[in-house]
Amino acid sequence: MSDTTPEAAPSPAPTPGGEVDPALLEILVCPVTKGPLRYDRARGELVSDSARLAYPIRDGIPIMLPDEARQLD
Amino acid sequence: MAFRGERKSLLPGPGLGNRPEHGSLVTIGARAALLCRSGWFSASTPGQEGTPIRQARLHHEVRQGHPRAALDAEAVRDAYRRWAGVYDGVFGAVSAAGRNRAVAAVNALPGTRVLEVGVGTGLALPRYAREKRVVGIDLSRDMLRRAQDRVVSQRLRNVAGLVEMDAEAMAFRDGSFDIAVAMFTATVVPDARRLLREMCRVVRPGGDLLFVNHFAAEGGLRWWAERTLAPLSRVLGWHPDFALGDLLHDPRSAAEITACAPFGLFTLVRVPNRPFPPR
Repeated sequence: MSDTTPEAAPSPAPTPGGEVDPALLEILVCPVTKGPLRYDRARGELVSDSARLAYPIRDGIPIMLPDEARQLD
Repeated sequence: MAFRGERKSLLPGPGLGNRPEHGSLVTIGARAALLCRSGWFSASTPGQEGTPIRQARLHHEVRQGHPRAALDAEAVRDAYRRWAGVYDGVFGAVSAAGRNRAVAAVNALPGTRVLEVGVGTGLALPRYAREKRVVGIDLSRDMLRRAQDRVVSQRLRNVAGLVEMDAEAMAFRDGSFDIAVAMFTATVVPDARRLLREMCRVVRPGGDLLFVNHFAAEGGLRWWAERTLAPLSRVLGWHPDFALGDLLHDPRSAAEITACAPFGLFTLVRVPNRPFPPR
């Protein structure tokens, strides 16, 4: 969406995918296994080792959908 | 939006609902598309063949697979784009009373950790009390981005995050919230009881679940005018268990059922969270 005024926009994210509130990260789990997630800050992904899936974070919004996740080999 | 009375006709198979719906609720049909990853629902909007919603439904009928696999994310997003320009104006106005009532109820409850299921464009977000820490989920990325714009532009520091998520398969730890509120959502997800089960799971025992829904406009404007002017008991008599029968194993487990202005079109239901009974 483009109706955000530049001065209201957050500063450019230093991490891919944008910053996620640590309190939010604490309560997020894998939607498939309900197992814990590992925050891969460099890639901007939430990794579920139990499901072998990496959930992307885009614009600070975690996308917790298995269809959208990257399959780990 | 699907309601109890319509719900059966919305299931896949013969008789897939094409019943004309009240005209002003077209955007709510779009809302259904956005919240629902399944192809079973009908947008219930006459003359919408060829829309992403219709295509998605056909897609499902052909595939015969698990309904949840049917509506691809792109169709959801396309559906939203079709309505994006009018969503906040039309849906926002229609739903304002129910939404305001629900948020006021959330604000009055104990506990600060709040989950809004089906947060949409974040219409409700500015109304939460400052001490409430709110997480919003939705299936529509476009809506979430608009919600995020709202959070930034209105400096809503108590919004802890927005997450794209399936309300029936949430990615939260058990007991992560004190309160979960689903506005105009319970009747548009493929399986309301799965929604309820997930809400029960992610809210701590002893917390609260809130739902706002509205009634089907089965007979168009005249029916709507007649019914909405009726006292609550008559409205409930018309749809004795409205969505509750689809949502709750025992509708008597609701602690409060409150009609919201205008005309009792929307109903707020509060359910104390307790361990889900075994199937």
